[in-house]
Amino acid sequence: MDRVLMKGNEALAEGAILAGCRGFFGYPITPSSEIAEYMARKMPTIGGVFVQAESELAAINMVYGGSSAGFRVMTASSGPGISLKQEGISFLSEGELPCVVVNVSRGGPGLGGIQPSQADYFQATRGGGHGDYHTIVVAPSGVQEMMDLTMQAFYWADYHRIPVMIMLEGTLGNLMEPITVREPVTEFVDKPWATNGCKDRAPNVMNTLHLDSDFLEKRNHHLQAKYEKIQQECKRAETFMIEDADIVIVAFGLMGRIAKKSVSEARKQGVKAGLIRPITLWPFPDDVIKSAAQTAKRFLSVEINMGQMIEDIKLAIEGRVPVEFYGRIGISPNPEEISRQIINIAAREGWI
Amino acid sequence: MGKLIIFAGGLGSGKTEIALNFARAEARAGEKSVLADVDLINPFFSSRLAIEDLEKEGVKLLAPRRDLAFGDVPQLPPQIISSIRQDNSLFIDLGGDESGVLVMGYLRSYILDRPYEFMLVVNPYRPFAGSLDDLIALKEMLEQSSRVSFTGIISNPNLVEETTPETVREGHGKVLEWAQIMGLTVRYLTVEEKLFNELQPEYSDIIYKLSLHFRPDWLGIS
Repeated sequence: MDRVLMKGNEALAEGAILAGCRGFFGYPITPSSEIAEYMARKMPTIGGVFVQAESELAAINMVYGGSSAGFRVMTASSGPGISLKQEGISFLSEGELPCVVVNVSRGGPGLGGIQPSQADYFQATRGGGHGDYHTIVVAPSGVQEMMDLTMQAFYWADYHRIPVMIMLEGTLGNLMEPITVREPVTEFVDKPWATNGCKDRAPNVMNTLHLDSDFLEKRNHHLQAKYEKIQQECKRAETFMIEDADIVIVAFGLMGRIAKKSVSEARKQGVKAGLIRPITLWPFPDDVIKSAAQTAKRFLSVEINMGQMIEDIKLAIEGRVPVEFYGRIGISPNPEEISRQIINIAAREGWI
Repeated sequence: MGKLIIFAGGLGSGKTEIALNFARAEARAGEKSVLADVDLINPFFSSRLAIEDLEKEGVKLLAPRRDLAFGDVPQLPPQIISSIRQDNSLFIDLGGDESGVLVMGYLRSYILDRPYEFMLVVNPYRPFAGSLDDLIALKEMLEQSSRVSFTGIISNPNLVEETTPETVREGHGKVLEWAQIMGLTVRYLTVEEKLFNELQPEYSDIIYKLSLHFRPDWLGIS
């Protein structure tokens, strides 16, 4: 039996293990808890560490410790818990400590609800905590991609020495699909900076307190140069029928998958629609959007929030083409709902 | 007294879809049918989301309602005890894994008083259910947590949209083999509508047709 039926959260957790993650520190919250459950079962059987921490803050600081020691480590939570972790993520960013942070998103603000949401887009892509920093943010759209992007996330985290966030809607975490389980990672990036014992070498120190203003500025320039390199190398997007599209839908995550069906439906109705699905939310694939804007007449950002990614689309397009928005909160719009939006726009603009 | 069937199993083994199909079939046969959604683990893809369809079909659904439907705190519909004792058929859909069956601690004294079936739902294509050792561990964990012994197995071998007759044959073969070693009878083989006609002659004694309620139709696109 080479195909296995997995929930998104399980595939993510197994992907982390295959990528060599041997430390998981978490605090339960719906709809992310299956990740912790899976790790609690598996970690003790493979020589790894699972800790249910006393709080989200404790968990993210355990990630700081595990990563400093050179291990591949991860934590997972949902909106309110991710907010609590922001201080730690800022510290991890300045410490250039590789790790993976998972946000199985729920509706906010406040305690909100546990229904699917993409309302943490700003928090994820703008850094989220204090100071000038970014994390790489990836947004899987299916269960296979949950595994594959998690493995990629660990690689990027080590290679660029950066926290990588995986962000998904609660529905995807709980959705089951058949997948192929990948081979375990056997080659790892060296970590000469790790605080893993200093016999025969000078001690490595992890510190993010820089009272010398020149040094602080130097650190910031160093980080910015790294972010620049990541912008050059890591942008990822899937495109679907955009070559001749009059209207380009931009949607990420499971929402992107739903929108794909809407695009096909709109095509059947005679509307030339296309889809761009950002796979990395930071760095944002503005290159693909910019190039589609040369031919498309209109963009439609579809999000499970009140309009966040639309800002990045507008920045990429630089005012050359109008960008419209369709969003819901606490519910994933269905394909018919979105194709109706597309067809309405097409009719209003006189394309059909 | 009507039927009482309790469905337990690993997370994502297919309990909810199966319980829902049993409850609908009972209502269609003109019997009083009650479905109890006591999934305390996770409200995503749970029966409470199908309440309108179920009530239209004559199934009485016991489940957290309205603003509590998506509450992620343990809450049990209080009418469940009376439904165990009344003249109706009752299908209890437990949450996954050992935490899901904890509810049985509350229900067991009422259940053990009367005839019942406690079914272990198995999909061998799921993690933690893919080998004899895994299945034995799962069964023991669920029985310890519920303090009730299983009376049978429901074999539910599938890879959702990718399921072929061969998927079913291969998976079911394993479930049969493991069930025999564990001393449990496989009472049903559940298969999706589209495969039912082809597999019916081979498994006519135990095959059960499922129509899936929670599977989004846009999943075929990837």
